[in-house]
Amino acid sequence: MVLLSLAKLIKKKEFAPILNRLVGSLDTPIIIEDDEGRLLLATDGSERHNKFPVNSSDTIIGWVYGNEKVAPIAALLSYHAAAETEKRNLTSETLNKYKEITLLYDMVEQVSSCLDTREIARLVIEQAIKVIRLSRVDVLLLNKEVGIMELVASYGNDNEVSMTVKKGVGIAGSVWASGRAEIVNDVGADPRFVSDTIKISSLMCAPLKSKDAVVGIIRLGSEELVNYTAEDLKLFNTLASLAAVAMENASLYEQLKEAFYTTVYTLAETIEKRDPYTGNHTKRVMEYSLAIGKTLGLQEEDMARLQLSAVLHDIGKIGVKDSVLLKESALNDEEFAEIKKHAIYGEEIISGIARLKTAIPGVRQHHEKFNGRGYPDGISGEDIDITARIIAVADSYDAMTTDRPYRKGLTIDEAFEELRKFSSTQFDPEVVDAFFASDVVEAYFTANSRGKIIL
Amino acid sequence: MPKVLIVDDEPFIRLLLEQTLEELEDEGVELITADNGETALEIIRSETPEIVFLDVMMPKMNGFDVCKTVKNDLGISEVFIVLLTAKGQEFDKQKGIDVGADIYMTKPFNPDEVLAKTREILGMPK
Repeated sequence: MVLLSLAKLIKKKEFAPILNRLVGSLDTPIIIEDDEGRLLLATDGSERHNKFPVNSSDTIIGWVYGNEKVAPIAALLSYHAAAETEKRNLTSETLNKYKEITLLYDMVEQVSSCLDTREIARLVIEQAIKVIRLSRVDVLLLNKEVGIMELVASYGNDNEVSMTVKKGVGIAGSVWASGRAEIVNDVGADPRFVSDTIKISSLMCAPLKSKDAVVGIIRLGSEELVNYTAEDLKLFNTLASLAAVAMENASLYEQLKEAFYTTVYTLAETIEKRDPYTGNHTKRVMEYSLAIGKTLGLQEEDMARLQLSAVLHDIGKIGVKDSVLLKESALNDEEFAEIKKHAIYGEEIISGIARLKTAIPGVRQHHEKFNGRGYPDGISGEDIDITARIIAVADSYDAMTTDRPYRKGLTIDEAFEELRKFSSTQFDPEVVDAFFASDVVEAYFTANSRGKIIL
Repeated sequence: MPKVLIVDDEPFIRLLLEQTLEELEDEGVELITADNGETALEIIRSETPEIVFLDVMMPKMNGFDVCKTVKNDLGISEVFIVLLTAKGQEFDKQKGIDVGADIYMTKPFNPDEVLAKTREILGMPK
């Protein structure tokens, strides 16, 4: 509560003239002082016969001196102080609400554009610190596989305790079970309390709900004893529901992304099934390509489309006749013309999917040569998309090092020698150098140890 | 003595801003209020405050007009003008720039930010 100063009160623009006229019409000496004895008003010949207190909510904020006639002045000032105090309390209450509202606005803005669960947890913690008195916050999320809540973000948890919560165990566990937020102002006296390495005296705990299921818990607390109120809990609950909605969004986005990549990979696997000798070729080309991209320092966006086009580079082969695709002897001109079409078929297949638009150049151009003697368009140099120049190296290297029924694959050194020989003619020399600088063996093992493609 | 002028036709907003900035009074800042654009202009002319918190939506003379008059016609460019707009109300930012406003702020405002910004503009330590 705000304590009023008598000096400010009697100097108020609207009030000062009224007081002056009143004092003038009293026609008796008067002195007004604040509680620290500072003189605020005095008329001629004033004497301190009697004194009358000026109160503001049970506290004396000053004195009026004079005879009996000045008593109503003290009463008026007290009344004025009470009205002013009430106004101030209402105003500061509103200002507190303003603060909460603006923080919630900020939070909605930030959180609703965020698709990363940990980042959302971090944002919630940041906002909670601003509006609620606390010394510690923990955000725990349900690990569906093991059925326990695990810590994903925290504040004031200095020991970095990797804590977990089991359903029904402890205060957080009981909030999980009930699905209702709780205030525990005296943690020590709560029989459910499971002692922790960090001392918490008061806490609030709220569930993160997705539809009706509890998918997480936010717990905040204070080392000192705090009297959390229903208002605090309401605000805390609002933060928690905002976070829950955002996390639900993030998880739907994750699922969508996973479904998309699984579909893409399944599409790529159809071509591997037709040509079983190429086993794991797709995964290796992807890993080699990513290794090169990383060495070249490609941006995240380019890495993403590189990955997609590497996975899908041969998808057009699905349109090539078995008699040509699976032929083990040398191809004649006509057959070779047929094989070449797979680059164009590939573009045709994926162009129907909007999200694969950026992967088109990598698929269409992966047989172009740096000197312009490739296919299907005969473009050269940097006219060939960077993803296609990378896939060309990765694809050729894998083809060279893989055993085929009619020939044994080259050793790594022999294949490197071949790449070096055709650097600048068939391949972009920078890409070849980047490949040599990458951890090729690691990429090989990563590809082969992968069951499914995780993108 | 630095002066801060608060202009809004809603008494409640004036009260809220006054109380937000009240602690500055103890450090010698004078808070002045006005409930319409015309009075605001007179005060700006005679008192040349350092900062003006200026509501955009006011009857008769609105905040844009006051701002434009001060910055262009009167040529008092050293006055820092903060336009006050309501959240959700369409606010023409381009117009705000055109009339020469320094910043704009949405209501409900964050009291902590308003106080910090005011201190910053007045060059007062936190």
